Amino acid sequence: MEFAELIKTPRVDGVVLHRPFMPTVEGTLCLTGHHLILSSRQDNTEELWLLHSNIDSIEKRFVGSLGTIIVKCKDLRVIQLDIPGMEECLNIASSIEALSTLDSVSLMYPFFYRPMFEVIEDGWNSFLPEDAFKDLESMTDEWRLSDVNKDFSVCPSYPPLVAVPKDIDDDTLRKAATFRHSGRFPVLSYYHKKNGMVMMRSGQPLTGTNGRRCKEDEKLINATLRPGKRGYIIDTRTINVAQQAKARGGGFESEANYPQWRRIHKALERSNVLQESLIKLVEACNDQSHSMDRWLSKLEASSWQTHVKEILTTACLAAQCIDREGASVLVHGTEGTDSTLQVTSLAQIILDPACRTIRGFQGLVEREWLQAGHPFQQRCAQSAYSNSKPRQESPVFLLFLDCVWQILRQFPCSFEFSESFLVLLFEHAYASQFGTFLGNSTAERTRLSLPEKTVSLWSWVNRPQELERLTNPLYEANSLVIWPSVAPQSLLLWEGVFLRWNRSSRCLDEAYEEMVHIIEYNKELQNKVNSLRRQLAQLETEDPLLQTP
Amino acid sequence: MEFSEHIKTANVEDVVLRQPLHPPSRGTLCITGHHLLFSDREEGSSRQLLLLLRNIDAVEKRISGSSGTITIKCKDMRVLHLDIPGMEQCLNIAHSIETLSCLDGVAAMYPFFYRPSDLSLQNQWGLSSTEKYYSQMKELHNRWRLSSVNRDYSVCPSYPPAVIIPQNTDDDMLKKVAKFRQGGRFPALCYYHRKNGMVILRSSQPLTGANRKRCREDEHLLQAVIDGSDKGYIIDTRSSQQAQQARMTGGGFESKSSYSHWKRLHRQMERGKALQESLIKLVEACGDESHNMDRWLSKLENSKWLSHVQTALSTAGLLAECVERDGHSVLVHGSEGTDSTLLISTLAQLIMDPCCRTLEGFLALLEREWVQAGHPFQQRCAHFAYSHARLQQESPVFLLMLDCVWQLWRQFPLALGFSEALLLRLATEAYASDYGTFLCNSHQERCALGVTENTHCLFQALLRPTERDYYSNPLYEPTELAIWPSVHPQSLQLWRGFFLRWTQQARQLEEAQEEIRNMVIEWGKMALS
Repeated sequence: MEFAELIKTPRVDGVVLHRPFMPTVEGTLCLTGHHLILSSRQDNTEELWLLHSNIDSIEKRFVGSLGTIIVKCKDLRVIQLDIPGMEECLNIASSIEALSTLDSVSLMYPFFYRPMFEVIEDGWNSFLPEDAFKDLESMTDEWRLSDVNKDFSVCPSYPPLVAVPKDIDDDTLRKAATFRHSGRFPVLSYYHKKNGMVMMRSGQPLTGTNGRRCKEDEKLINATLRPGKRGYIIDTRTINVAQQAKARGGGFESEANYPQWRRIHKALERSNVLQESLIKLVEACNDQSHSMDRWLSKLEASSWQTHVKEILTTACLAAQCIDREGASVLVHGTEGTDSTLQVTSLAQIILDPACRTIRGFQGLVEREWLQAGHPFQQRCAQSAYSNSKPRQESPVFLLFLDCVWQILRQFPCSFEFSESFLVLLFEHAYASQFGTFLGNSTAERTRLSLPEKTVSLWSWVNRPQELERLTNPLYEANSLVIWPSVAPQSLLLWEGVFLRWNRSSRCLDEAYEEMVHIIEYNKELQNKVNSLRRQLAQLETEDPLLQTP
Repeated sequence: MEFSEHIKTANVEDVVLRQPLHPPSRGTLCITGHHLLFSDREEGSSRQLLLLLRNIDAVEKRISGSSGTITIKCKDMRVLHLDIPGMEQCLNIAHSIETLSCLDGVAAMYPFFYRPSDLSLQNQWGLSSTEKYYSQMKELHNRWRLSSVNRDYSVCPSYPPAVIIPQNTDDDMLKKVAKFRQGGRFPALCYYHRKNGMVILRSSQPLTGANRKRCREDEHLLQAVIDGSDKGYIIDTRSSQQAQQARMTGGGFESKSSYSHWKRLHRQMERGKALQESLIKLVEACGDESHNMDRWLSKLENSKWLSHVQTALSTAGLLAECVERDGHSVLVHGSEGTDSTLLISTLAQLIMDPCCRTLEGFLALLEREWVQAGHPFQQRCAHFAYSHARLQQESPVFLLMLDCVWQLWRQFPLALGFSEALLLRLATEAYASDYGTFLCNSHQERCALGVTENTHCLFQALLRPTERDYYSNPLYEPTELAIWPSVHPQSLQLWRGFFLRWTQQARQLEEAQEEIRNMVIEWGKMALS
């Protein structure tokens, strides 16, 4: 298909652009296959380059022959274009609508994007499962890397290589996979170096109404327990929901068949409930009324903060089982691709200092989200403004980032990255020039040849100038487990995302700059002091007269 | 009166103290006339807790068997538990704390006994006064004069001896005006806007009463204020309905017909009891341990505290807009003119005047607008949110002002020269203090008790070099511009530093701030060496 077919009016002059916190710009609007561009042809005004895939919905209005298009973006920004000429306006609107909702992945911008920067390190190779396994091997020999899924036939949403207990052979894995939702048999998610305990994740067991069991599955997960030790299964559904799942072939691990495991049920919301919560929250944040009561009621009614709290609580629980109780943990809900990953990845942030570095966090997102098969393309197809019927959209990843932000806020010195890294990941998960978040699984990414045909987000991020922008100036490596407070009073609304376009952050940004400046100046002075001390010491040894008597 | 009468048991051994952010410790508890002292006996530790009894808002005791637990709820929101062996001792201690923490006599309060070695009673008391302000503002002199009509407090008991009034208003007129205003609080200047020469005046309500009494002198005084300009604004901190109703009880408002050049704007601000109840609900919500997000947000909403913050800031914004943008003088009052009036005149000055945003400037502003302007601290801050005593005249107006300043500080992190720590310190000191600054209800009362001669001044103490670093904002960069706060509900936040001060995570944030502060101090030292 040719993009040109969808673009009836490629350019309009005299368009006026209104953006939050920026002066109004008048200029020429151009539509290309992937971008909406507004240029004033003056050197000093900022142009607008907006990816069509970032557009969540548009609204058009007419006053006489002057049309207005309101563009609502997936990053929650709202901009307004005043377009002279009714026909032009209608054409532009219909083009944007068509171009922003193209279904075919291979027409997406990442396939056309050519980097304007030098790729120092190809991000597609930065976080391979085999490299992660090398780290594991240096700590323990109880695990092996299995290629049972090399052609994605055992579990379509898993990567080709997964870490499993050493004593479990591939046949056992294949049988266990038939007993788990979508073939997601239990695999290693995290190894806690301090005490050798592990966290695993999987899909729900397919026990069904008549309590089917699977010896291989039992053997697989029991192989992760130390002799005489018990483990915990954290089911992210309530016991009722888990019971009901039996009727549709799902289920949970019964006490009878898994006597060494204690099951804990938690109520994490999923898919459409979360999407509705996001829609309500964003609506509340954009509410222009000046009523404090209304704002607090709406915030409460959105339940977003409740979801944040529940997810963090469950992650703390998993981390507690591992670190405090010294027990291994298996986490799953239904599919094991959403709330399960929230819990396993947050637990690692709490437990593992390595995940709190920039690179470590990238690795975590790769392992626990991208390779673990979180269906990014389905979940992030629409954001909070879309008018189309929600299908499988759900802000699961955004909630995870929100939870990380809460921990970051509570431990401002323990993370190597700053809030802007989290905001960046949110933006790119929903619309990006990079191929990282395309597709729903490693299998799809391989089929689409993303590593060959697109640039990885990590290739761009892992360059000195970007890293500098994303680094937290207050960072001081903290090797401890960090336990966040999950009391409702401790959790805040993530203003950096949800109020980003509603209130100017200029003053806060200035303060941040000032703080960075202070810290840099301090380092500089420290260095100067050290070098002066060295000089002094040297002079003292060279010239004994200078020595103090 | 002897304190010892109230202390039956002065010492108890083997007491266990449990307090937020610390592990429990075992030690000796002592009660003195003004303090509760706990010293740790644990080996290798020398922790002490010295708590001003005045800081205690409520005491609860629970006896089980031969020992008891006393829960102490402080006015700075701390909650402590003391496990005391021996029922009688426990009851004695509880009784002593209860009595000593709410003794009425001001002259027996701790500030009159506090004698630290590094402060002398000969030191200067206070930072600012009406006289000083007047002498600094040379521009004022041709149209305004300093009157000492109130030198013996007979015209207005709650005003300081000196006030600034229009040049052509003589003292006899003032006496008549004072009779026409509640509590004698005639309109007096509190702020001069250098950029355009406009002023803010404050007063109490006019006593027009049901039959619309007038006072020519009052009208004349106000006319003199706007002399040469087309009009002025009156911001009434009550709704117009409330102002109407006030006429039934002898109060009222400035009618259009008698004050034709003044445009009245009504903004309803909550006062007195309603504010105190709001604080009680908020504090209860903050202490809620149910771990339920909906419940927390509902309770926060129900407390209405943030709505009060919003109203105060937006009314102050309105006042500043009238002066700075619209270029008119403004008279502010509500009923008494000692609470919400001061709240918004203070905030408006912070918004407009860069001089008020330095550490000294802010303290001087508080001294003029709260201490000398007659905010009845003793009545308003007698109890905090935990007290079981019947509400009298308690109302957290000063705390609300500090909260609003914090919101400004958060929205403009570079523009204010002082730190959040200062706001926290002031919030604590207003309720219980070693210093005399917040004692009594008016200048007159302080004078009668010899507060300036017999106690130390908090504001002076805060400016000592050792303290100054701690209370300065390391990020401060003065700006000449007005700082207009956003009052959108989404822009206002709960003041966690105060209301959730004793929770674990507040501590982490403090550490981060501490870090930055240390760096700045360190480079100061390096620059010197």
